[in-house]
Amino acid sequence: MAPKDDSPDKTQDDRVNVSRRNFLKTAGVGSLATAVTTVGVAEVAAQSGPATIGPGDVPVTLTVNGKRLDLRIEPRVTLLNALRNRADLTGNKRVCDRGACGACTMIVDGRTVYSCSTLAIEVQGKQVRTVDGLANGATLHPVQQAFVDTDGLMCGFCTPGFVMATVALLERTPNPTLAQAKRGLDGNICRCGTFVRIMEAALKAKGVARA
Amino acid sequence: MKAFAYINPTSEKDAVAALKGDGVVMALGGGQDLLARMKDYVTQPDTLVNIKNALDATVTAMPDGGLKIGAAVRIVDLAGNAQVRRLYPAILDAAGLVGTPQIRNQGTVGGNLNQRPRCWYFRNEEFVCYKKGGSRCFAVNGENQYHAIFGNDGPSHIVHPSSLAVPCVAYGAKFRVVGPAGEREVSAAEYFTMPTLQNVLKENVLADDELLTHVILPAPGNVKTGHYEVRYKQSRDWPLAFTTVVLAMNGNTIRSARVVLGAVAPVPWRSEDAERALVGKPLNAETAAAAADAAVRAAKPLSGNAYKIQITKAAVKRAVMRAAGLATV
Amino acid sequence: MLNPQNPPPAAPSPAAPSPAAAPGGAPAGQGRGGGPPAPPPAARVADKYKWPARPTLITTSVKRLDAPDKVSGRAKYTYDINRPGMLYGKIIRSPLAHARIVSIDTSEAEKAPGFKGVIIHKTPGTEVLFQGDEVVGIAADTEERSYDIARLVRVRYEQLPHFANVEQAMAPDAPKVFAMGNTREGNREEAGDLDAGFKLAAHVVEQTYSTHVITHCCLETHGTVCEWDGDKLTAWVSTQGVHASAQQYADGLKIPQANVRVITQYMGGGFGSKTNVGAEGLICARLAQQAKAPVKLMLDRKEEQLAVGNRPSAVAHIRAGVAADGRLVAFDGQSWGTGGAGATSNFPLPYIYNFPNRRRTHKDVYINAGLQRAMRAPGHPQGCFLTEILMDELADRLRMDPLAFRIKNLPEKAANAMWEEYFTIGAKAFGWDKRHATGDAQSGPIKTGMGCAAHRWGGGGRGSRAHCDIMADGSVVMKCGTQDLGTGTRTIVTMGTAETLGLPMSAVKAEIGDTIYPFSGASGGSTTAAGVMPAIRMTAGKALDALALKVGPALGVDPQTLTASNGRVHVIGNPSKGLAWKDACKLLGTEPISVDGEWVDGLSGNGTSGVQFTECDVDIETGIVRLRRILTVQDCGLIVDKLLAESQVYGGIVGSLNFAMFEDRILDRNTAQMVNPNMEWYLMAGMSDIPKIDIILMDGPEQRARGVIGIGEPPTVSTSAAIANAVRNATGATIRSVPLHPHKILQAIEQEKAGGTL
Repeated sequence: MAPKDDSPDKTQDDRVNVSRRNFLKTAGVGSLATAVTTVGVAEVAAQSGPATIGPGDVPVTLTVNGKRLDLRIEPRVTLLNALRNRADLTGNKRVCDRGACGACTMIVDGRTVYSCSTLAIEVQGKQVRTVDGLANGATLHPVQQAFVDTDGLMCGFCTPGFVMATVALLERTPNPTLAQAKRGLDGNICRCGTFVRIMEAALKAKGVARA
Repeated sequence: MKAFAYINPTSEKDAVAALKGDGVVMALGGGQDLLARMKDYVTQPDTLVNIKNALDATVTAMPDGGLKIGAAVRIVDLAGNAQVRRLYPAILDAAGLVGTPQIRNQGTVGGNLNQRPRCWYFRNEEFVCYKKGGSRCFAVNGENQYHAIFGNDGPSHIVHPSSLAVPCVAYGAKFRVVGPAGEREVSAAEYFTMPTLQNVLKENVLADDELLTHVILPAPGNVKTGHYEVRYKQSRDWPLAFTTVVLAMNGNTIRSARVVLGAVAPVPWRSEDAERALVGKPLNAETAAAAADAAVRAAKPLSGNAYKIQITKAAVKRAVMRAAGLATV
Repeated sequence: MLNPQNPPPAAPSPAAPSPAAAPGGAPAGQGRGGGPPAPPPAARVADKYKWPARPTLITTSVKRLDAPDKVSGRAKYTYDINRPGMLYGKIIRSPLAHARIVSIDTSEAEKAPGFKGVIIHKTPGTEVLFQGDEVVGIAADTEERSYDIARLVRVRYEQLPHFANVEQAMAPDAPKVFAMGNTREGNREEAGDLDAGFKLAAHVVEQTYSTHVITHCCLETHGTVCEWDGDKLTAWVSTQGVHASAQQYADGLKIPQANVRVITQYMGGGFGSKTNVGAEGLICARLAQQAKAPVKLMLDRKEEQLAVGNRPSAVAHIRAGVAADGRLVAFDGQSWGTGGAGATSNFPLPYIYNFPNRRRTHKDVYINAGLQRAMRAPGHPQGCFLTEILMDELADRLRMDPLAFRIKNLPEKAANAMWEEYFTIGAKAFGWDKRHATGDAQSGPIKTGMGCAAHRWGGGGRGSRAHCDIMADGSVVMKCGTQDLGTGTRTIVTMGTAETLGLPMSAVKAEIGDTIYPFSGASGGSTTAAGVMPAIRMTAGKALDALALKVGPALGVDPQTLTASNGRVHVIGNPSKGLAWKDACKLLGTEPISVDGEWVDGLSGNGTSGVQFTECDVDIETGIVRLRRILTVQDCGLIVDKLLAESQVYGGIVGSLNFAMFEDRILDRNTAQMVNPNMEWYLMAGMSDIPKIDIILMDGPEQRARGVIGIGEPPTVSTSAAIANAVRNATGATIRSVPLHPHKILQAIEQEKAGGTL
């Protein structure tokens, strides 16, 4: 495979989805480049067109729970793994790793996503919310409090994903019908079987979820 | 998942150019299908081209009264689009039933149409089947309860996984495709390909260096439509069978009909038998039942999926009933 | 640990369940005949330590103490442990169902960037017996690279004959695949006079019934994080038993158990499959030793589905007779099942109901699939399903209401086995009187039906120890080396301590999930609450005794006359004569109270039971079943925390619903490789699949008097049978196997049309 451009000073711009064509014009070799020790680092592509970055480590800047996070990871690293393995944000869990269970559910620009099936590099410039950032200090988010009050959890491994799915549901549909609430939470699986009480929690938190 | 390089173009032209790179280069849409296949080492690209910033993400009204839907439109936005609701309710229904909220939020129209089969032999690395360059279809003598009951004469017995493909064919959609040689339009019915030994690695006519950019829907005209999906699990599951019917009416008489079946064949399966049973008949429960019987007459199930014939019948009958505005159960 | 499958004392099972299926017994059980050894006689609880007649916390609904940590993501599970310099371990497994390892080449892997270590787990020449059998372990500096490196390990195999299902293994011309034989005959169980029994029969039903293999599919996969400090190992393990894990590490690594510390603060589901650190645990420890760095080795979903446990299948060909008056008279059953590549598959049969004349044989059949492990009420869902479908068929022969028929054939009533009461209470609450006879006569494709079934479970527990510290500032710490699987152990340990010391929950700190705390057994067989709570009660009671020795003289009263309630230590019956808790503790001066205690007899019970009712709609044109509602009447002895007990019951019901409706481990019949080792095609219920569920917990003097008993398992036994019976009632077609896939429903309806399945 021909060497591709993954010089980090350029890839950093990717976080705001700046057009490759635009930033190539202004790209220079920044100081960060000296820190690059990874495989796959290569020269700037000579031809015009969007840059090829990776497959080695590249800088990726995320905005997670309102805070900027600077990482050096390969393009293949998922949003979930980036946060769990590189930023110790372990609230959201990895369970199926194939977008089938919902334990990794995060909210990106207001919508739930399976973070196991989302590349970290693709959410640069977007607002990522995880369960770790939901509570306000010691004060739980109303949805979290509702889960506590109704015992909408047992082992708790699906809980972060269900909490995020419920938050997103209620932010979009503050007063869902039972059918809407069920449909809204159909992307998550609980193995302990706490569904009845998760639904109680979702309905209890109706109208009180804050954005 | 194998390491890969990443390109993030912002125009169709750049995206097409990027696909021309070295090694195996693939387009990344919502990623819900592709990334899972990569994690399972079923697909191992050297480079991914993110096409979400390069392709149209809007729904546009066309002068003829139809709609043009960009391939980068998210399923959730399609399912909430007022024009789609008004003109193509079966597409809205199908979009609303795709996967889960998370998948609808991430998944794109192009990704849904181009996703690879969910066949469990295809999805597991251990089984080197026709679709992975092997020389057999493991479903024939294996676990084929979710496989095809139509179109089983070819080498592969997958069912096409796309929910949107079925109503697209039923509404007579065209797909706009761009490639190095420019753009072309392919009718939805011709876009999806029946497996032969020559083309079994793919499910459609899209070349490796081409992109599907738009779904172009003609003005629907005076039609009644119905869409019905049968699922085992209600929460999230792949349908066992589903049907879209689009009926052009002359009073209460069916003037012409399109009946397209999903999850039963390697392509969205147009049932001309069912269509013949509908044309010239009044739109009622009796006609629906006759169309259902006709729809499955030519079914050729595998060893373990004959039950899908009955389910397909129910889906056809109920889709017609819905078109007629009748209760389905 | 008592055999958790012991039936309620007054309701002996005609078929003693196999010890192989006992929780903690993992796939073992081979060669273990008979039951467990009789436990040594235990001390009997003194009157003063008995559970209070009018408790303040126990029996009420108390919120889960660690729920705030779990809903906020602060709770650190094994999967979440990130240690400085931590590496990532990965296991290379056999892709084949049966093969001999010819060669292993790790040279390319060792040259790859990020390589940190390799452990050859199975050497060339060794056989692998199922897809997913462990062969090599590697460690890498990042998780992504661990996947790359794992794929660079070259293992060559010589493929050997395999069995993908019991039919293949039982075929007369089957090759010998397993060294111990492809099948193993179990015990023959007989009672009464079978021939005489059948002579009394007015009706005989002869059919084959079966249940399938499902996997535990724990959301937190099996795995560990291992870190060495010299010759001392600290292991964070996703386990149901911290002390048991330490012992397994010591045995497996040949190191003193005193050098092993196991920590499990939070655990993402086990359901019986996490009672052994397994190959993955030992490989992780060895990689950490080799690389001189902490290693995290968590299985991925596919590994979890293939290699770390499943519920064995069960098939029984049964001939059963009933007399004209509705009394069961004879049962003749030949059963078999598979627990995979060498594990047992026994289950109780017939289940609950009295067949005075009976014979039953069982055969273990080995196939090339992952080994079974105890799974939530091992054996009982199988035995219950097989028996309860038969019961409805027999009832129909008699034209008798299936509930009345069941009541007529129950074993003798006992405090922990009051099925007649449960059925009566449940029938009223459920509206059983509105049930129609078999086959919904309404027109239209949607048919509605009701079904019921009964269950029992042993439970009970013993052997737990605890330690309680009371400091001069009034703080209280209760330490117990048990673990919280999500069942609420942390919460009930706190409740038991606070109840005994007359303190609010917030005044007590419970420390669990660590081998630095006193021994407690593995959590399996619903034994935790019954094992731990007596130890907590005794330890807290002794701590209070010690405090009373200081308070008595200060008050000028006999310490024996003191008790604690409402935050005061005071004379029994005279709350005003006493000291506030903090003032009492001040008397300790520089010497805190530090006492040990242990389980005694008399605070916990053994044996529990219940019944379930279901109502469902069946779409006879599509074969799709939709559940409308489920109701259970469940005995649970002295309820500790009502809120958490109810959660356990909900969970059990949903687990059984999944068994009935969705879950299915599907092996390719030709290769014995699993086609659905994921969570997409391994179907599990989501929110829209869950019906209305109502729970009636029996909570009267008879229940409370029996003390604490576990409740994790009993509710997961009978739902599946009740659902299948409801489907039968709706459609008139009998489904004699699970899962209730539309394929089967449509087929049964066809058969019914063609001449009947009755």
